[in-house]
Amino acid sequence: MSLQKDPDRREIKFLHKFVDLTDKRVLEIGCGEGRLTWQYAARTRQTTAADLDVNALRVARMDNPSDLEDKIYFTCANSEYLPFAKEKFDIAILAWSL
Amino acid sequence: MVHVLSEIRRVLAPDGILIDLRPLADNWRVEVVSLREVKRTGRVEDLPEQINGDVASNETMLDVEKRGWFKREQEELFPFFYSWDTPSEMEEFVDDDWKDFVGLAEDTRQATRSAWAVADADGRVRVRVEVMIARWRKAITNLENVE
Repeated sequence: MSLQKDPDRREIKFLHKFVDLTDKRVLEIGCGEGRLTWQYAARTRQTTAADLDVNALRVARMDNPSDLEDKIYFTCANSEYLPFAKEKFDIAILAWSL
Repeated sequence: MVHVLSEIRRVLAPDGILIDLRPLADNWRVEVVSLREVKRTGRVEDLPEQINGDVASNETMLDVEKRGWFKREQEELFPFFYSWDTPSEMEEFVDDDWKDFVGLAEDTRQATRSAWAVADADGRVRVRVEVMIARWRKAITNLENVE
């Protein structure tokens, strides 16, 4: 299939316009296959990318660029019971998931 | 949904930021596009699940704002394009992946096929999805101020 999503990369441009992710601890809820995650994670201190879809997470882990392996932690998590300590993140991103 | 926001609030540091990024129901535009021109061929039809989902999400954010959990700082809309080489690929995607959210009327399918057939060699088909991005800041509640 020839599908292209957001070929102009408007989404990441707006994300950077709205928030400075530099050296921040970021939680992304609804990361899916990591399409958005990879575009911003390099500048963060640490990115935790969560989704309930194990198949999407499998793809995300397989396709994760090697230079981002230490930056991104993909995890299967239910957003109603986030398995993280209090005040662990500086920024939370609800990515097409509310 | 409120519980999700409660959890996000719990794991966010004081003064932390929440970004709410999501598509909004808007009978998204279908277009045939080439370097030379953009031709509108119709719109998808929003289904009740898509509309009700937006209403529920918006009500949730209003609710958490009233509770004093988050404070809205900025909001904007922008177009997010899904693009395919051919009309049939677009139709297959809409019928399979978006079947619960939007529909595609026969006249829009026909108009898109006709426009693509006579478009330039670089012609593609795309759907213009309306996406909202909003920045919310974690608020300190009165109770926390007392503490």
